Amino acid sequence: MTWISKSVTGLGLVLLAHACYSAHEHSALHSISTASISSVASHGSSTPAVASLPLDIVIETVVAIFAVCVGLVLGTPDLRPIEWRVWAGKIEREGERGFLTGDGEVEKDYIGNPFKVLEIRPGFVDIRKQRKEFAAWVREGGGTPKK
Amino acid sequence: MSSSLLHPPAQLSPVVALQLSQQAPSLLQNAPSSISPYSLGSLWSAAESPELWTVYENLMLSCLRTGDEESAHICLERLTARFGADNEKLMALGGIFQEAVAQDDAALKRILEEYETILNKDPTNTPISKRRVALFKTLKRTTEAITALIKFLDASPTDAEAWAELGDLYVSQAMYKQGIFAFEEVLLITPNAWNIHAKLGEICYMAATANEPGSDNYLAESLRRFCRSIELCDDYLRGYYGLKITSNKLLGSHPRQSKTDGGLAPPTQETVQRLSEIATSKLSEIVRRNAAGDSGYLGYDLGEIIAAKELLNKE
Repeated sequence: MTWISKSVTGLGLVLLAHACYSAHEHSALHSISTASISSVASHGSSTPAVASLPLDIVIETVVAIFAVCVGLVLGTPDLRPIEWRVWAGKIEREGERGFLTGDGEVEKDYIGNPFKVLEIRPGFVDIRKQRKEFAAWVREGGGTPKK
Repeated sequence: MSSSLLHPPAQLSPVVALQLSQQAPSLLQNAPSSISPYSLGSLWSAAESPELWTVYENLMLSCLRTGDEESAHICLERLTARFGADNEKLMALGGIFQEAVAQDDAALKRILEEYETILNKDPTNTPISKRRVALFKTLKRTTEAITALIKFLDASPTDAEAWAELGDLYVSQAMYKQGIFAFEEVLLITPNAWNIHAKLGEICYMAATANEPGSDNYLAESLRRFCRSIELCDDYLRGYYGLKITSNKLLGSHPRQSKTDGGLAPPTQETVQRLSEIATSKLSEIVRRNAAGDSGYLGYDLGEIIAAKELLNKE
């Protein structure tokens, strides 16, 4: 979820909460005032009046729901390719950069080419050879020593 | 940067490996040294995640590679504390550590004997079987490595990694027919692996250039393998490179229509010509867009791009 989608969704939720609270307050107020009027006007036979919610609360609710929907939709990640060769091509061509979430970080389940492990074979790693090659690389001047 | 710690470190360039191992001391300090499942913090956050242990393992391998043995030892200790010393994978990691710090061949032979003792007690210990094969390879006893690996594959024939290792061992001994067989077994297990198709193409090409018997068939087979790898992966640089080389060789050699021993007919010159043109145009497009910094083309390995440029320049 990007920051803009989070903020729009948050705003929508705040509006929705406000509209619900206003509606609750309105119905509480309305029931008190209706009760007092009806007790004055017609002794006892109180017809429960239809709660006429003010228009602005209705509009606020609809706008809030719309904002929440828009915020959630904005926060959806990009669609991923479904054809094998397109997906494989994306990995080879773009690497990590093709699989970023909205926040610009690499997706958690991105593992690159899943068959690369068949060429690297970590179960059979020849650690002494790797050490020798690394030492040779350092000796040839690759990489600045930190200390 | 820590995303690269979730993948096996052998593929990292030396620069990245050096950076990772330099960050190792701070990483080790920040991570909790012992995971207690009942701490207060576990109320709102998971005390450990599977990634933590993958990170430890890969960090240990990176540190061993760069020579930072203390950090590697700390990683190994934490892993052992969590999983116990009789966990098979941990035995293998301990074996890797010992191999790395061994001083001479005698020490390596002692480690080999230890592996064999463990295997005598429990022949199904897969990670240790693999370490034994790797140690044979280190000691340059390739025939024994091949024999051990064949025995392992008799017991567990669906291990693609082991078949790939066998294929590489055969190729290193220039036994191309057996190497091709081994990699075809890999493809039986993972049929959509585009890099293995490319690797098979490369091995067939090596067999063809080494003038093995039936080298015309090998060259055509190599062409087909590279085509298959491109079919499985759009814009596959390694595939197009191989396609160009094999199609050039086929155009230049004018193979006679060899009697196929149950195989496919060799491709016509016209097909090969068209493939060569497609390969050239695709290679130049990739190189050009990568050089221009086109955002969708920056994931290629620099070495491969340079090799492609040289190939194109040779024309």
